[in-house]
Amino acid sequence: MNAPDRYERFVVPEGVKKVTYERDTKIINAASFTIEREDHTIGNIVRMQLHRDENVLFAGYKLPHPLQYKIIVRIHTTSQSSPMQAYNQAVNDLDKELDHLKKAFEAELAKHSADY
Amino acid sequence: MEGVSYQRFPKIKIREVKDECMKFELRNTDASIANALRRVMIAEVPTMAIDLVEIEVNSSVLNDEFIAHRLGLIPLTSERAMSMRFSRDCDACDGDGQCEYCSVEFRLSAKCLGDQTLDVTSKDLYSSDHSVVPVDFPDSTGYDSPEQRGIVIVKLRRGQELRLRAIARKGIGKDHAKWSPAATVTFMYEPEIHINEDMMETLSLEEKQSLVDSSPTKVFDIDPNTQKVVVVDAEAYTYDDEVLKKAEAMGKPGIIDIRAKEDSFIFTVESTGAIKASQLLLNAIDVLKQKLDAVRLSDDTVDADDQFGELGAHMRVG
Repeated sequence: MNAPDRYERFVVPEGVKKVTYERDTKIINAASFTIEREDHTIGNIVRMQLHRDENVLFAGYKLPHPLQYKIIVRIHTTSQSSPMQAYNQAVNDLDKELDHLKKAFEAELAKHSADY
Repeated sequence: MEGVSYQRFPKIKIREVKDECMKFELRNTDASIANALRRVMIAEVPTMAIDLVEIEVNSSVLNDEFIAHRLGLIPLTSERAMSMRFSRDCDACDGDGQCEYCSVEFRLSAKCLGDQTLDVTSKDLYSSDHSVVPVDFPDSTGYDSPEQRGIVIVKLRRGQELRLRAIARKGIGKDHAKWSPAATVTFMYEPEIHINEDMMETLSLEEKQSLVDSSPTKVFDIDPNTQKVVVVDAEAYTYDDEVLKKAEAMGKPGIIDIRAKEDSFIFTVESTGAIKASQLLLNAIDVLKQKLDAVRLSDDTVDADDQFGELGAHMRVG
């Protein structure tokens, strides 16, 4: 039958790049990142983290179509920064936040299992 | 240029942990992180589930597909799933179940010989790997309680037989819900309830009682000694606005003020038993970190930007 493989929804096909970067042709310091095989889970945390960056003038993401398994993150920054720098910063900060969260939870769990 | 860090330092407080159930508070972060954790716990933390069934004999009343589907839905203990391979990525085999890195084989053989109907349950599944077995319910009360007998797959009458071989594989809930380790994962904003005591003084006892009773859940009560309206359980509030509407109707808007603390969340995690609830959160954090690592820009993407002159080159430092 012609049913597509179920894992096509979350496995990046061969020869396709996970993240592609495209500058805006009209506005300086604006760009779109197309992220393959990701959804609101990544899109929303990256967007919200970008909003914390004061050099980011605009940050948004969209899921163009539910059957196209990709998201587009659009970033516009001041001249003090660049979309690429802001994006990297956001991903690094989220990564560190999760590291911190993991350590905090493990410590809390150790305290709890000691109690009982 | 060194980028300033906008990192947050979330706090976490466990209220209750049991093997299959956990409640905790998450603070100093926003709804996007809370929701990402919830989504990952439900759909992207890997577990093991039966994915391929070869039926040798089936003379039961249920057809082969029906039984295969039921087998798939049985939760299997999956502590090892994080370190196993997806069979599509496994080099050691072609996903036929002969490989210890990606699959576990199960056998089931049952025949009803007596006059009584025979329940074929998850306890009749024999695993080739003792670390991947159907989940058990050890704290059952009675010896003969239904939980003790496992999950019923099919019932056989005299003369009927079921014999099969099944292969369990690693997968995620996004692929098929049978791989989801979460029974429920929910979070809510922590409510902050303020009662305007001066305005409350102006109400009669009956009015206070009707205000208290207007909430569908038991959030407020009247202190029998002081006859004051008090908050007994702020978290019972379901953001239904009923008390606020009541206050408005009584001509006393602002007598009660309820706000959602937008950086505090109360999580409830229930696991299917495939992995412990506490481990489920740890695995979810790991999976989310892996996803973030995967979306980092690759070097060739960064280099491709350099052709746009020194701007790109000097912006990317740090």
